[in-house]
Amino acid sequence: MSGKTLRVVHYINQFFGQQGGEEKAGIQFLVKDGAVGSAVALQKILGERAEIVATLICGDNYFAENTDKASEEGTRLAAQYKPDLFFAGPAFGAGRYGLACGALCKAVESHLRIPAVTAMSDENPGVDLYSRDTYIVRTERTTLKMAESLNTMVKLAFKLLSKDVTSKLVSQEALGRPSEDGYFPRGVVRNEFVEKTAAERGVDMLLARLRGEEVQSEVPSPDDRNPVPAPAMKKPLHLCEIALVSDGGLVPKDNPHGLRGRGNTVWAAYEIDKFFPQHFSSDDYAVAHTGYFSLHVLQNPNRLIPFDAMRELAQKGVVKLHPFFYSTSGNATAQKTCREMGLDIARSLKEKGGVDGVILTST
Amino acid sequence: MRLEIDSVKIEELTLDERTYLDQRTLHIDPSDLEKRLLEDNRIKSVAFDVVRPGDWTRVVNLIDVIQPRCKISPLLSDFPGWVGKRRIAGSGQTTSLEGCTVALCNHFSRRPYAGIMDSFGRGAELSRYGKMVHLVLDPEPNENVSERDFELAAKTAGLRAAVYLARAAENHRADSTELYDLESITYAKSKLPRVAYCSMLYTPQHDYRGISDPILYGGPVTEMLPTIIHPNEILDGALVNALTIRGMETYSLQNHALIKELYKRHGRDLIFAGVIIYAASLDPSKRDRNALIASSLASNVLHADGILLTKLHGGMPSVDQALVAEACENLGIKSTIFVHLFNRGGSLMEAASLASLPTLHAVINVGHTLDRMHLSRAEKILGGNAQTPIYCADFKQYAGDRQIDIEQYLIAGVHDHIGGSRIVAVDY
Repeated sequence: MSGKTLRVVHYINQFFGQQGGEEKAGIQFLVKDGAVGSAVALQKILGERAEIVATLICGDNYFAENTDKASEEGTRLAAQYKPDLFFAGPAFGAGRYGLACGALCKAVESHLRIPAVTAMSDENPGVDLYSRDTYIVRTERTTLKMAESLNTMVKLAFKLLSKDVTSKLVSQEALGRPSEDGYFPRGVVRNEFVEKTAAERGVDMLLARLRGEEVQSEVPSPDDRNPVPAPAMKKPLHLCEIALVSDGGLVPKDNPHGLRGRGNTVWAAYEIDKFFPQHFSSDDYAVAHTGYFSLHVLQNPNRLIPFDAMRELAQKGVVKLHPFFYSTSGNATAQKTCREMGLDIARSLKEKGGVDGVILTST
Repeated sequence: MRLEIDSVKIEELTLDERTYLDQRTLHIDPSDLEKRLLEDNRIKSVAFDVVRPGDWTRVVNLIDVIQPRCKISPLLSDFPGWVGKRRIAGSGQTTSLEGCTVALCNHFSRRPYAGIMDSFGRGAELSRYGKMVHLVLDPEPNENVSERDFELAAKTAGLRAAVYLARAAENHRADSTELYDLESITYAKSKLPRVAYCSMLYTPQHDYRGISDPILYGGPVTEMLPTIIHPNEILDGALVNALTIRGMETYSLQNHALIKELYKRHGRDLIFAGVIIYAASLDPSKRDRNALIASSLASNVLHADGILLTKLHGGMPSVDQALVAEACENLGIKSTIFVHLFNRGGSLMEAASLASLPTLHAVINVGHTLDRMHLSRAEKILGGNAQTPIYCADFKQYAGDRQIDIEQYLIAGVHDHIGGSRIVAVDY
């Protein structure tokens, strides 16, 4: 860290900002130069290293009822002070306050590109909602250990600002593991250096198993969220309309919706008769998916999506074919995103009405 | 089968008028080497450069990194099927140069991505090649040579050059000698557990224009059935890396970390029962068959108590690997699998979900290979130029940019699917 005093903006609610209790929970943003209310305690811990140049205060209800707008306002107010660091809370067990701290830190981190740190307790809903987006230090429910929490927040914030050549992280970030530095896991995977090679660790692990010992896998076991099969369609098949959905990345040649070959987050619906006429030319398609060998699909897209077979069945009156085909690309995309896309597609199918079943083809 | 690898330390490579080794400096006559490489009429010319640690140089269009090696006996073959006649590799004496490599480029290839190697900055710090000297080969194709033909010509040239360099050290005293001989242990009497290694050699999912790369004794393996080979064969040039770099190079196979570790513990903690090789498949029924045959070989032929399984880069081969491991577990063989993680965001559990069959309790993770890092600007670029594209899934960038944002598996010598790295991915 250089000798320069860092500029800090601190966000607190109406109560910690000494504006009043629940009766003042509706107040809008107030900006005070310097440290005010509980920000004074934070300034004490920061000492000479950093100066709280502004304290932002906002009522919990106002924030909770206008989350997007309030996050934007707070970020704009903070930006005026050109901060190097942003703190919010601690919110401890206070739900609305926790949500505000999380939302504001998320907005500050993504728009101002500076480290933002807040703190709250396990059961605060802010943890569930924002622990992936910002650093949330773990606290008790009550304010008893305020100083301790502030200390952890400050330590973490300074680590986020520095590089450490001795860090075990390949990225050389000074950051410790969530358990070491007291924050909630952010749901990212990082590379660390370890003493033993993978070969040594692997042989050790296998020998331990052969001795009958319990071993600690380097990858946690899958959770038992077993997919529940959809119930069978109740109508006779010839009355059912079937839609085709695939994550094989088949798109028109120019990929108008910008599906990505890896880590894709978008899907698109195409009208089958236009997208895939009876007499198609394989030159008109592309595959936005880098995880499988796509030549066979490009030669004949029927190999990925059974347009031909379904059309034939529809002509014979065996089923009805939904006129739109839904395409996405599933390759190294986070499960959360996949679930969101799946729900989106399902919603869209429902809105179109009449769809009774879906054939999903993957690669 | 007994293999002796005699290592000669090299500290400096220098282009000269004659090829010879003096002290630890290897003098190379580039015109003599080029003349030999041009015996292949697919190659028009070859550019040679030396890269030393600390040079602000970036090697791009990198397709392989090869340790210079040669066989001593004329009855034995160098990189059989590529350079020498097809003979079984893995026995006799091999001269090996330590501290230097042949870094092979192909600027003619239109594959979407190629490897990269920096001799400076963070890229060099993280790579096993960062402290070595390299002879960089950048061959130029003759007219009318197809892209694929030239890929094979370039690969052959790289391997030939590696043999050529090692020949210069043939009569020099070795700095160290390693012996690889499984027979040195009396198996029958041993009470030690028998451990097999199951090596996935290839995955066809990335086959360029539908053609598999040749890798084993000069030929492709995509359609092979699981079989057994001697570990010495892998250490001694039977196997080379595919035609692109994805967290693996020929150098890593020549110095196979897991095979070496099993040898180290052979007769002490375990009996190294043997190596099963197979290729991943795109066809579920073939996958199934591979798993059955591989597990049966482990159980009924190698009589293994335990098995270690490695895989190659990509998500799909995780399925092949997990099926083999599960089939082994079903036969009472304890397994440990090596996986790499490959999705950004999400948790460790999610990133490894393909490998997490409930029966597989023991997983080694060799790191998050798609993790990105920044490399700063190089002063000199070899194997291409400042406009050479550097692969990134999200945007276009070029070798000469002020900063390059690159996924680590494309930087030669950082990650290693076969156990050589000291990296592990952790939830943060």
